Amino acid sequence: MAEEFNVPFPLEYGTYEDALKMIEVRGERKNAEFTVNWEMIKVYCAMEEDANPSYWDKDYATKQWGGIVAPPGLLLTWGMALQWHPNKDREHYFVAMKVPLPGDTLINVATSTEFHRHLFLGDRLSAVDRLIEVSKEKKTRLGVGHFLTTEAEFFNQKDELIAVTTNNMFRYFVPEEKVPEENIAQGKAPEENL
Amino acid sequence: MTRTIAYKFWDEITEGETLPRVEMPVPFERVILDAAATQDYFPGHHNPAYAQHQGQKNIYLNTMAIEGFIDRVATDWAGPHTFIRKRTMNMRASIYAGDTMVGEGKVEKHYEQDGRKLVDLSILISTQSGPCVPAQLTLELPCK
Repeated sequence: MAEEFNVPFPLEYGTYEDALKMIEVRGERKNAEFTVNWEMIKVYCAMEEDANPSYWDKDYATKQWGGIVAPPGLLLTWGMALQWHPNKDREHYFVAMKVPLPGDTLINVATSTEFHRHLFLGDRLSAVDRLIEVSKEKKTRLGVGHFLTTEAEFFNQKDELIAVTTNNMFRYFVPEEKVPEENIAQGKAPEENL
Repeated sequence: MTRTIAYKFWDEITEGETLPRVEMPVPFERVILDAAATQDYFPGHHNPAYAQHQGQKNIYLNTMAIEGFIDRVATDWAGPHTFIRKRTMNMRASIYAGDTMVGEGKVEKHYEQDGRKLVDLSILISTQSGPCVPAQLTLELPCK
């Protein structure tokens, strides 16, 4: 018997035309669930085996930056939704998860982030993002689907810009019949290497 | 075990310089730690059956874990006084539980812009199966 798994979380389903209607619609600015905290920074740095004293050594970090700073790679984590909350439904923080399309799964393909300033302990992140582009249906090594390009701006509680991210995600399904190899482009744009 | 911290200054760096190779095994434990550390419970990162449903061979590291490893390759070399100005990465192949990832890098450009002392790096994250994630970083560094 095949092992069972839960549906990851509710994705929006619809057509390519439904998805196109969401382009350039600017979402509301949302506050992150987590304030920037040293405990989560330490767990992340333990996972990376990153000894950078900007994240571990208060004396060094204060002298260098004015305090312990968050690793740039944790930027998206502060906004992750809790698995359960007594008063709120679980909601996706980023628009890419809310775009109606046929694919039943997704994978991140490429991302680019410009950082403007550090996040410090106690900071509260907020973000606003929008869908920039939805590709026509493409066949890749993983499956058949659409590439979504989104842009997100991140701010601290003082309304200072922290970072701007452009992200490319593939929303797809795995067809029952394997995609013929000749339909798979190789070695050019990142999405063609999936 | 205490790791030695390196401090590289902008005026010591030359174009073409190579960064020390950083290697890190990725057992199941690290992939699960990744999900917990980044609060990313997308099932491709913790459930092998779901990962296979996605066309993947096993659970795999998420974007934030790879970003952190890329940044570590840069800052292990340049030092903790580095401010990462920009990071661009393409995930061409997944990094699976059971893999060992390796980061290698090179200084592509050494320059000043808007009063900032900058260095552009190319970094490649590979596993025993081949190249996975090419990345480009712009670092801001102090002078000696």
